[in-house]
Amino acid sequence: MSEIGAEGVPRSATARSDAAAARVDRGRQAQPSGWWGMVLFLCSEVTLFGTLIGSYFYLDFIARRWPPPGIKAPEVLGPVVATAVLVATVPLMWLALRAARDGRRRTTVAWIAAAMAVQAAYLAAQVLLFGHDLRQFTPQGSAYGSIYFTLLAAHHAHVLFGLLLDGAVLWKVARHGLTNYWLIGVRGLALYWYVVGGLAVVVLFTVLSPAL
Amino acid sequence: MATMVSPQAQRYVDELDEIWVERSGLLGWLTTTNHKRIGIMYFFTALAFFGAGGVEALLIRTQLIGPNGHLLSPQAYDEVFTMHGITMIFLFVIPMTTGAFGNYLVPLMIGARDMAFPRLNALSYWIYLGSGLFMYVALVQGHAPNAGWFDYVPLASKQFDPGNNIDFYGYGLIFNGISSTIASINFIVTIFKLRAPGMSINRMPLFCFAFLAASFALLFALPSLSVAALFLELDRQLGFHFYDAAYGGNALLWQNLFWIFGHPEVYIIILPAFGIATSIIPTFVHRRMVFFPLVALSEILVAFLGFGVWVHHMFTVGFATLTTVYFAAASLIIVIPSAIQLFAWIATILTGTPDFQTPLLFIVGFIVYFIIGGLSGITVAAIPFDQQVHDSYYIVAHFHFVIFGAAVFPILGGMYFWFPKVTGRVYHELTGKISFWLTFAGTFITFFPMHIVGILGMPRRNYTYPPGMGWTLLNFIESIGAYILAAGLVLIVANLAVSYVRGPRRDPPYEGDTLEWATTSPPPPYNFPVIPIVSSPYPMWDKDDRERDRQRLDRGEGLLNLGHQTPATTAQDAELDEILTMPPHSAWPPVTALTLAGIFAMLVMGHYWIAVGFLALGGLTLLGWHQHEASAAG
Amino acid sequence: MSWSEAAPRRLRRLLPPATIVTVSIGLTGCGSKQSILTTRSKPAHDIALLWWWMLAAAVVVFAGAVALLIVAWARRDTPGLPFFGEREDLSQGMVLLFGVGIPFVALVALFGVSDVYLVGQTAPPNPRTTPMTIDVVGHQWWWEVRYDGGRVDTANEIHIPVDTRVDVIATTADVIHSFWVPALNRKIDMIPGITNRVLLYASAPGEYRGQCSQFCGVQHAHMSLEVFAQRPAEFRAWLAGQERPAPAPLTARAQAGKQLFMTDQCASCHTIAGTPADGTVGPNLTHVASRTTLAAAEIRNTPQELAAWIRDPQAIKPGDHMPDLGLSSTAVSEIVAYLEELR
Ligand code: HEA
Ligand code: HEA
Ligand code: HEC
Ligand code: CUA
Ligand SMILES: [Cu+2]
Repeated sequence: MSEIGAEGVPRSATARSDAAAARVDRGRQAQPSGWWGMVLFLCSEVTLFGTLIGSYFYLDFIARRWPPPGIKAPEVLGPVVATAVLVATVPLMWLALRAARDGRRRTTVAWIAAAMAVQAAYLAAQVLLFGHDLRQFTPQGSAYGSIYFTLLAAHHAHVLFGLLLDGAVLWKVARHGLTNYWLIGVRGLALYWYVVGGLAVVVLFTVLSPAL
Repeated sequence: MATMVSPQAQRYVDELDEIWVERSGLLGWLTTTNHKRIGIMYFFTALAFFGAGGVEALLIRTQLIGPNGHLLSPQAYDEVFTMHGITMIFLFVIPMTTGAFGNYLVPLMIGARDMAFPRLNALSYWIYLGSGLFMYVALVQGHAPNAGWFDYVPLASKQFDPGNNIDFYGYGLIFNGISSTIASINFIVTIFKLRAPGMSINRMPLFCFAFLAASFALLFALPSLSVAALFLELDRQLGFHFYDAAYGGNALLWQNLFWIFGHPEVYIIILPAFGIATSIIPTFVHRRMVFFPLVALSEILVAFLGFGVWVHHMFTVGFATLTTVYFAAASLIIVIPSAIQLFAWIATILTGTPDFQTPLLFIVGFIVYFIIGGLSGITVAAIPFDQQVHDSYYIVAHFHFVIFGAAVFPILGGMYFWFPKVTGRVYHELTGKISFWLTFAGTFITFFPMHIVGILGMPRRNYTYPPGMGWTLLNFIESIGAYILAAGLVLIVANLAVSYVRGPRRDPPYEGDTLEWATTSPPPPYNFPVIPIVSSPYPMWDKDDRERDRQRLDRGEGLLNLGHQTPATTAQDAELDEILTMPPHSAWPPVTALTLAGIFAMLVMGHYWIAVGFLALGGLTLLGWHQHEASAAG
Repeated sequence: MSWSEAAPRRLRRLLPPATIVTVSIGLTGCGSKQSILTTRSKPAHDIALLWWWMLAAAVVVFAGAVALLIVAWARRDTPGLPFFGEREDLSQGMVLLFGVGIPFVALVALFGVSDVYLVGQTAPPNPRTTPMTIDVVGHQWWWEVRYDGGRVDTANEIHIPVDTRVDVIATTADVIHSFWVPALNRKIDMIPGITNRVLLYASAPGEYRGQCSQFCGVQHAHMSLEVFAQRPAEFRAWLAGQERPAPAPLTARAQAGKQLFMTDQCASCHTIAGTPADGTVGPNLTHVASRTTLAAAEIRNTPQELAAWIRDPQAIKPGDHMPDLGLSSTAVSEIVAYLEELR
């Protein structure tokens, strides 16, 4: 075991340049605390969606007709395309992450910005679809409407939150560089989008289930 | 101990004192990120809520002391018992165990200098405080939640409860849940990352195992409650129909969601208590725990299996027999890991040389009451019997034995046990013993007759009862017991309060086995001048290791004195991996918590756009939070 | 024979004296009307028997564990196990034996008896096996009781023929209630949107008290009911009486009372068959005088208590849905006179 304070044990706080942070990152045997924090936070979020989706199928299961009379089964094409677009940002985030861990700040910023643009477009499209649905039926009209809109809104809120995270990380990385702190930030951000992308697919199949 | 530092070491200690110096005064407490200060704030806040919940309990018992009591109106009674349940569960036990004990002790026990995310730690305290005050504002204004702590719909729907009583419940619990989620993430990361070098998972104190298990359970259980409460508020405030059978909703959806959270919650309540028991027993029994690995495994198993039993709270809703039978079987299986732990404690006490001082007495009381409460738990896992006694006082008896007898007794014992650690003084032993016997007798007299009253058919949540049902005498006895119990608890608090001023100083007070005893009492802000290196689960009994720590201090080796530093190690084997620098004090956590309070207050009042404004404000505070970056993301 | 006696007596001899003192005083004495141990049906009896067995087993387990603690106290200065000394393997074996072995056997036995065999007893009866069906509808805070699909509509008092399997269909008009008559069977929740059923059976004639046991609002404490198990002939006579519409009032005061009932707000909440009164908020009063209790078994059905109820229901059940109508005392006594004739 290495002695405490001995050479070779990274002092992460001192990693204030892109290259130094990347070296610390590579030198670690274990994941940093921030990474763990994000993983656990995402566990909680996934459970949250699990509960929402569980509630969806619970209500579906007890309903005589699902969706109830008067509501058409959901449109398939639009949401599938939109979700595919969102999922397409997962590789972008992966590229950003790889660049960050190599200490390539400019590339990192570029990939995150690209992903962010796509994600923002996705959200805009989804908000339009949401509005379109709201004109067909309402959350106040039936339990189906309630869970349908709540589930979608919950996911859209996560995309919105992710966009804010994108913005914050972009700004900080652009200003301070890929210090240890913000390198971990990029790693957390990438994890976040992997999970939100995955959830998008699950949510998609859930709300589309009556049409499949 | 570190009290006797050699002159050359003193120089290093002074240096560290200077680096870790704390702000003094009120501002110091408001902006602190020190886990010990946060633990102490948790402690006093939770104690105050215990007092409030206790006053509510005494009101209940006084109302029920005889038939046709009219101390409280029926409306007031409903608010009082609901707030009693909510207070005791969400504002007392959970914050007391994880918040106070966990915060103060987990970093000390694993040989760390703070929690993994000190500012988030402060944030979770301030959110907890905010959520508690939030719900008590409702009580003071006279519209506290009034549909019971599990708040079944449709009684809790707008139609049957048109005031905003229930909105305080729904939003209060979401608010409170944020605090618990943050806290449990923080505990898990702390335990995974910040253990002293050498403290591999299998050398971790059982106390930390218990907190790890409880934190995981909390993390996975809470979303269900939050979703349930979210649905409730959408139904109530925006006219959604999750729970409304007339629109395709379902009242049982609430019950399922609540108990998917609610049952793990009861094990979250008891696990830290198990942890406290496994800290106190070895110290006073002078031997290692019997079957350490199996006990650790059982702690994890209890938390895990607790997720599969929730329907045992719903045996009378009319589910198909097959469903209920499955959950009954799961409820019975969970007895095994509990029984393993129970007999491991008993075997340890039996084969050691127990010194029955106050903390150990409380643990023995805990064991006795856990057996009673656990056995009554088994009886209600028998479906037909539960279908008779469900929602009767038999259930009230069951859960007060497991909650008060089995979860609160270790808390009380722990308060005595670590009092010398936190204050540097020892409590009065004889008064301690008297207070134990009072609480022990009071608990039995209060809660045991409830089994019988329940079997005689008295339903719970009755603001009064008629004479001639055979319930009168037993209720009278219960109420007297509650007063005795209250006297015992007040004596505990008084003993500690007086000892804080007048108790003799003794450091260390006993031969504890875990690392919190490796430092002075009270510990310095940095906990350990030199980070200990660990080679067994009983590090304080490894005299050679501690001697080596002392020599390293003399040599000034491994001090980590370049700022607020603490080592991070690998998750499994605890090999030294990284030196972290912790953020210093920060004013942002209370500010962020304040914006959250604003959000929830506006939501209750129905000012949704102002709530959104507060949300934006909260986002801005998070930016302020990251003005100065620290070494660990958090 | 009463279902409750034989077996428990045999068992009680096995229990340590102390438990007999603490437990049996409370349980069997006192003449409690709602005890789950004075039973008059097979399911309730079997549950009571299950309880006595579980109690006996629990006492043994408890005594054993406490005995270990007492030994620990007596040997507080001696390390190691009694007889065997410091044998870590034996200590661990003890944990396995008491913590896994014995509980496992005990739990499997309990599971078999209660959750495999006995649940069948408390499951809802097979639809076509019961000669009689009663609808019981929970209301805040009273019970609506209907026979023959509503031909007879009464409240808070359920009459059943003795020795007859009755299928109770339990539903609710508002929030969740729970139907529970401990002497006769388990409880069953009444949940919006769900139709639950439970068997009601009495092996002996008598009066059995029940109470709502799911918190349902401010007057949850005052939502009781009485089951009258009658010999079949008596039961048929009662049912025939209930099927008739309300008799016309005889005395002048009763006629005045009827007038008031129809013109004051009473009629908007209560039904009296054969009159214009057809409200459904409160109990059907067609034969209210034939009941022994009022307001969900909260008060006795005497002219005085009936008058007290009509004068100020809120004093008896604060927060109840029947308002205080501010009637004069003559009006009250006339209405009482009328209602007293509704046998
Ligand atoms: C600290 C909290 C805590 C703990 C630890 C437990 C432990 C257990 N509980 Fe309890 N329970 C509650 C808190 C808790 N409970 C609360 C708060 C409620 C009611 C909520 C409400 O309605 O408001 C409740 C309600 C509740 C119900 C629903 C009752 C109803 O509403 O109708 C059931 C039913 O199965 C149940 C079962 C159990 C079981 C099987 C255990 C087991 O885990 C017990 C295991 C322990 C032992 C068994 C003792 C030690 C072992 C031995 C002595 C070995 C020897 C044993 C044998 C030989 C068999 N509990
Ligand atoms: C942790 C959980 C917990 C704890 C500790 C307690 C403690 C007590 N509880 Fe309760 N209880 C519940 C959880 C708890 N309870 C729950 C969940 C319910 C169900 C609610 C529902 O149905 O919705 C319930 C319901 C409940 C009922 C049933 C009400 C009903 O159904 O109508 C009763 C009745 O007697 C009761 C009594 C008591 C009593 C006498 C105590 C006593 O042990 C309390 C003793 C404590 C004190 C007397 C405080 C002493 C003060 C101090 C030590 C602090 C002093 C310091 C300062 C002021 C700073 N509780
Ligand atoms: C707004 C509705 C309402 C009005 C008006 C009303 N009642 Fe009632 N009444 C109820 C309800 C609800 C109950 C059931 C109360 C309970 O048991 O909790 C009830 C119960 C009763 C009972 C007891 C019945 C039983 O079998 O337990 C009687 C008798 C009665 N009402 C008579 C009257 C008379 C007489 C009037 C008019 C002077 C009247 N009620 C007006 C709603 C009403
Ligand atoms: Cu109806 Cu309680
Ligand atoms: Cu449970």
